This record gives sequence, structure tokens and C-alpha cells, in this order.
Amino acid sequence: MLTAALTIVDGYLIFVVAPTDQVLGHIQRIFYIHVPISILSFLGFLVCAVAGIGYLIRRGEMWDRVAHASAEVGVVFVTLALITGVIWARPVWGVWWTWEPRLTTTLILWLIYVAYLMIRHYAPTPQQGRAWSAVVGIIGFVDVPIVYYSVQWWRSIHPVQVIGPEAADDALEPIMARILVFSLIAVLALFTYLLLERVALRGAEDAVSAIRRQGNYE
Amino acid sequence: MQTDPYTGPVPVAEYAAEAELERSSWRNHRTRLLILGGVIALAVAYMVYAAFPGNTLYFVTVSEFMEDPRLRDGQTLRVAGALAPDSFRREDGSTLSYFSLGDKQADVPGIAPGSPQVEATYVGVLPDLFFNPHSEIILEGHYDGHGEVFATDNILVKCPSKYQSMQSENPDLIPGAAAPAQSY
Repeated sequence: MLTAALTIVDGYLIFVVAPTDQVLGHIQRIFYIHVPISILSFLGFLVCAVAGIGYLIRRGEMWDRVAHASAEVGVVFVTLALITGVIWARPVWGVWWTWEPRLTTTLILWLIYVAYLMIRHYAPTPQQGRAWSAVVGIIGFVDVPIVYYSVQWWRSIHPVQVIGPEAADDALEPIMARILVFSLIAVLALFTYLLLERVALRGAEDAVSAIRRQGNYE
Repeated sequence: MQTDPYTGPVPVAEYAAEAELERSSWRNHRTRLLILGGVIALAVAYMVYAAFPGNTLYFVTVSEFMEDPRLRDGQTLRVAGALAPDSFRREDGSTLSYFSLGDKQADVPGIAPGSPQVEATYVGVLPDLFFNPHSEIILEGHYDGHGEVFATDNILVKCPSKYQSMQSENPDLIPGAAAPAQSY
């Protein structure tokens, strides 16, 4: 409910309240979706890495459920970040895609966590799948700071950060910054909702497969 | 212990075997797990390295391009700069255009004073923000030594990382709509 309300208000802010950008025009409004979704995908992979460490140490089912759910939500978000980026790049840069540092490292991030999901399913036993994917989730997280700093470390066509430790103070007008923060909160609510739902669903899946296994041996 | 009248103790044995497999596989696969992790780490490191080797950049600046003859041997590369004032012209009734790029000044529109310039040709439709003075223009193509021009295959436009609303009055910023008077 809260997520729905926040998302609707956010849509109103983005399309009605937010000022039109002087240079880029209306297309710049995609920024209020592209940036929060990218940042929340980073959070998803952070949760995945932390829960992966928790699983390898404690071996608790809950750690694994959280890791799996956050990786799935993270993959959805980074996919949306890539899609919104492609839509934004075509009218502004003149190309849909170019092999430059930010885009390439983001695609690698996507591939790493798609691999994470594949390893879970293709491992010989579920136990191995959990452990192996936890390792991929932890090592894969190394790419997240590389993606964030790629626009600083290498020459890039992508704009530099507008939020976070490396952002310039005057990158955004106050009204734009406020709408961006609101978008971040709305997308964070969506992220949290999806994550909790997926963790609960994973719990139900585990319960069902436990009942089925029990049924087989009775 | 469960016994089934038809299959006897088989499921229990299966279950025990499965549990044993689980335990032993974890021991046996610890090494494999480490190898897997190592391979992934190396793969990530290699992909990052392969994507950006130290001597290859996403683009070079106009002055780097003009100073280093090795970059002008006909290899395909990207050169970035700003459009030199009044350098743009286009053949009548065609999409062939000629223009010059100079080094982009940081934070201010236009080319850096005294920067070297490179002449370029391009056939095709120009991106919307090509004529915006804030744009950094990235050319993909190669240097044509005979014509002494940069033969452009693709043009990309890099925009500033600052966003500004149309309403705000800022004398330093010229609205994008004013500049493309000469565009087609």
C-alpha cells in the first residue's frame, strides 16, 4: 500500500512537478528512475553478499533465502537500469549502446548475478547450489564499487555521479535533488516490498518441498 | 525407521545414502568450490583488465591525437573535443558535413584557447545535441592521411553531468534551443 502510494506520487513528481532540463529536455526525466534503480540494484547485491557470508558461516536457511531473493531483485533492478540507460542514451548520445567503462562494467555486473542464479539451479545438489552461489555473490560484489567509480577512473561518456561520496555539490538543482531523494525512497519501498515477498515465497517453497520429500519416504 | 510393504527399507537406505553423499560431497567439493571461486575472481579481473588496458582509452583528446603520429596511422579510435566556432559547413543537398574539433574546456562552453584542431568529415544525420555549446563531441573513425581529415563513422555526444531547469536564469548557460539555428 505504502509502496503503491509512494510510486504514484513519485510518478506525479517526475512528470508534472520536475522541471524540464535545459539541455536534454523531457528525456532527462528518466533520470529519476534510472539513478534510484541503479543504486538499489547495488543495495540488492550488497544484501546478497552479506547474506552469502552469513550462509557460509551459519548455514541457516534464512540467510540463503535472503541472499537468493536479493540477488533476484538486484538482477531485475540492474536489468531495468540497463534498459532505461539504453532508452536515455539513444536520443542524447546518439547510440543505443557503446562499449565504454560504466556500461561495460554494469553489463559484467548483470552477467555475474545471472550466473549466480544459474549456478543455484544447475548445481548437482541444492546444498552445493547454495554454497557455490554464495561464493559467486560475495566475489561478484567486487564489481559494484568498480561500476560506481568507473566514471572517475576511466574516461567515459557516462555522466559522473550525482549522488554518493563522489558527487559534486551543485550537480542538481535543489528541486531536482529533492525529487531524486523522493524517488529513491519510493524505489527503496518497492525494493523492500519485493525482497520481503520473495523471501516469504522462498520460505513457502522450502516448506512445500520438505512436505513433498517427507511424502516420498512415508 | 520407515518400512514400506512394497519397497521395504529401500527409501531409508536411499535417504541415508543421500545424507552421506551430502556430507562427503561437501568435503570433496571444498577444493572444487575454492577453484570455482578462484576462476570467477580471475575471470572478473581479466574482463575488467581486457575492457580497459592501461594504454587504451575510451577516447583521446584532440591535442593527444594531434601530438601523437601513431594515433594517426589509420587505426580506428575515438577522439573527443568541442566543435570549433564557425567551422561547420554542409554540402548542399547532401548529408556530408565538414567541421573541426578542438579540446573541450572544462565546465565552460567552447574550445580551449590555443588548442590544436582536427578537421573531420561525416556522412549522416547529426545527433540532436551536436550544436549545443556544452556538448563534448566524441568521433569514432580513423584519420585519413591523404585528405588530412578525420573520417568519422559515428558521432556520440557527451553531456555535462549537471542538470538545470529551463526556467532558471543563468547567464553562463545558453539554452540548447538557441544554438541549432544552423542545423538542418
